[in-house]
Amino acid sequence: MDHPLFADRPEWVDVVPLQQYEGVTPLAPIFYTPAYKDATNYFRGIVKTGEKSARVLDLTENIIRQNPAHYSAWQYRYKTLMALGAPLDVELQLMDELAVKYLKTYQVWHHRRLLVQQTERPGPELEFIANALQIDTKNYHTWSYRQWILAHFNDDTVWSRELQFVESMLDNDVRNNSAWHHRFFVVFQSGVRKGDEARDEVVRRELTFVKAKIAIAPNNASAWNYLRGVLDHSKTPYSNLEVFVAPYSLPHSAQEDATPEDVIDLENLLPSPGAQLPCVAAIEFMADIYESREDPMKATELWKSLAHEYDTMRNKYWEYRIKEAILNVR
Amino acid sequence: MDPLPPLTKGAHATHCRRCLMGLPGSQVDIDPSKLALAFYCLGSLDLTGQFSIESTKTSDVELWRQWVWAQQTQGPRGTGFRPGNYMTADRGELPNLYSEGSDNPPHVIVTYTALLSLAILRDEFAQLDRPGIIKFLQACQNEDGSFSSEPYGGDADLRTTYCAFAISSMLDDWSGVRVENALNFIETCRTYEGGYGQAPFAEASGGPTYCALASIFLASKSDRLTDGERKQTIRWLVQNQVPSGGYRGRTNKDADACYCFWCGASLSILGAGQLTCELSLSKFIASCQFKFGGISKAPNEHPDPYHTYLSLAAVALCPPPNAGVGHNWKLQSLDPLLNANEATSRWARKHIPI
Repeated sequence: MDHPLFADRPEWVDVVPLQQYEGVTPLAPIFYTPAYKDATNYFRGIVKTGEKSARVLDLTENIIRQNPAHYSAWQYRYKTLMALGAPLDVELQLMDELAVKYLKTYQVWHHRRLLVQQTERPGPELEFIANALQIDTKNYHTWSYRQWILAHFNDDTVWSRELQFVESMLDNDVRNNSAWHHRFFVVFQSGVRKGDEARDEVVRRELTFVKAKIAIAPNNASAWNYLRGVLDHSKTPYSNLEVFVAPYSLPHSAQEDATPEDVIDLENLLPSPGAQLPCVAAIEFMADIYESREDPMKATELWKSLAHEYDTMRNKYWEYRIKEAILNVR
Repeated sequence: MDPLPPLTKGAHATHCRRCLMGLPGSQVDIDPSKLALAFYCLGSLDLTGQFSIESTKTSDVELWRQWVWAQQTQGPRGTGFRPGNYMTADRGELPNLYSEGSDNPPHVIVTYTALLSLAILRDEFAQLDRPGIIKFLQACQNEDGSFSSEPYGGDADLRTTYCAFAISSMLDDWSGVRVENALNFIETCRTYEGGYGQAPFAEASGGPTYCALASIFLASKSDRLTDGERKQTIRWLVQNQVPSGGYRGRTNKDADACYCFWCGASLSILGAGQLTCELSLSKFIASCQFKFGGISKAPNEHPDPYHTYLSLAAVALCPPPNAGVGHNWKLQSLDPLLNANEATSRWARKHIPI
C-alpha cells in the first residue's frame, strides 16, 4: 500500500482505533496485513462513535480497495453518503472504476443499485453495463443488474434500444446464454413494448430470428432452449417446426438433394454443408414431436439413437424418456 | 478408458484442517462469510469420515463449539449468528448483543451454516435461542416473499430463501416464515429453460435451482411443481452435464465442481438422481483434485473449502459404480435437502427443535 497508515495520519489522531474482539480462540483466523488491520481498527472506532463525515468516505474506500467483500464498509459508506448529502454522480464515477475492478463482487452491484434508486437516472447505467459486458460477457451480477434497471425504471426510454443491444451481444457470440435469456426477458417477460402489441407477430418474428441463429450454429443449446421457450410460452405445438427441424436431425448423407439457389426457403434455412450433423438437439426435438403425436415407436427409435450413438453420456436420461413414454401409453 | 484415480480423502481433510487453523491475509474476502467457510471445512471432515467426536481432540471440539456459539447474537430483530468477529470491537460493548440499525447484525445464511456446524460437532443446542431465531426470520422476510440476508437489508435472493426454509425445517417450526408468500417468490424466479435464476428475471443457474427445489421439498410442497415443469427441470439439469463429466451452472458455460452438487442434488431431490453419469462425474472431480489436498472448481485451479465440500457432497450422492477401485470413493451418505451427512442431519433434527 502506498498510503500511510491511519495511525500515522495527524488528521485521525482524535479517533480511538478499536481492535477486533477475539473472546475465544477463533476458527480459521485470517492473518491480516498491517494496512488492513490498521484501517479496520479505525473503522470499528468510527462505527462505535457513529461519525459520518468526509473522512469516513476515505476510510471506507481504503477498506473496500483492500477487501471489496467487506459488507459493513459498504453499508456504512452508503449511510455516510446519505447523511452528508454527498454528490452521487461523483460516487458513481468511483463505482465505474471499482465495479470493473471487482466485477464478481456482489457488494459493488448492490451499492450501485442503492445509489441509482436515489439519482433515478438509468440512462448512464445502461451504457455503463454495456461496457462492463464487453469485459465479461456472461457476468451474472452485471446481467441481473441490467434486468433490475429495466424492470425498476420501466419507461419507454429505457426499453427503446434494448432489443438492438441484445442483437449486438448475440452477433458477438451466438452461444452467449445470458444474452438469449435477456432476449426472452425483454420480449416476453417484462410487459408489452410499443409496436409489439400484436403478439402473434412477435412470436413469428422471434421464431424467424432463432431459426436463423440455429442455421448459423446448429449445435447451440442456448438457441434450442430459446426456441422451446418461445413455443411453450405461446402454446405453439412443436410439430409446427417439423419442416425446419427435420433436416438438422439427419446426417449429411440423408439430406435431400440440394435445393436450387432461387428457391431458398428463408423461413426454413437448411443446415450448411459444413454443419456438424445430425444435431442432438434436433433429434431430441423430433422425438418430442413424435411423442406429442402419440407415436412412441418413432420417438423411441430416436431416443435409442441418442442413447447409443449420438449422446451416450446421457444414455440413462434417454432410457428414462423411453420408459416414461411407455408408461404414458399404458 | 483411463481408470478412475483414487479420491484422496485424507489430503482433502488435511486441506480443510489447515484452513481451520488459519488463512493468509490474501483471503481477507472470507471475513464476511467466515462461519460458512468453517461449515465447508467441518462438513468435508464429516463426509470423508475424517472427523468424529471420538477421534478428534476434545479440546478442539470444545473450542470450535465455543467459537460458533460466540457468534450467536441477540437484538431487537431477533437472534441469529454473525459470520465472525470482523466487526466486533474489543471494548465497551457486549459482544453478543446488537442494537437497532446495527452494523454488526446476524445473517440468515450464516445462521444456517452455524446450526449445521454445531450438529457436526454433536452439540446439544442448550444455548440456542429458538424464539429469537423465529423472530429473526420474520424480520428478514420481505413483502414479495423473499428474505433479506440481514434484518436491516442486504441481498435478497434464493440462497436466503433456502436457508430460511432449512432453518425452519431443522427447528421443526415454520412460524418464522410466510410459506405461501415465499413459494410465490420462488415461482417468479423460474425461467423458460426450466431452471431458476437467483432473483426474478435472472438467468437459470444451478445454485438457485437447487435452492428453489430444496425449499419446495423441505416445505413438503412438491405439488407446486406441475408434471410438465418437473420434466422440463430434469431435462435442463441433465443437459448441464458436459463431456468433461462435470456439471456447468448455466447453458453453454464450462463445468465447475460446485455445480456437480447443485445440479446433481437437484436431480436427486426430483427423484432422478440416477440420471447423472456417475463415472464421468467422478472423473471430472478427480481431475479437480489438487495434489497437496483440496478440490478446485476446475482442473489446475487453486483448491478451496467451498469447492472441496461441494465436490465431496456430489460424490456422496452420486458415487461411481462400486464406489471406485477398492471402494475408496465411498463417503458418508448425504441428506440432499439439508446438504449434510445423513447422521448429522438426523442429529440436527433431533436436537434443534425444543
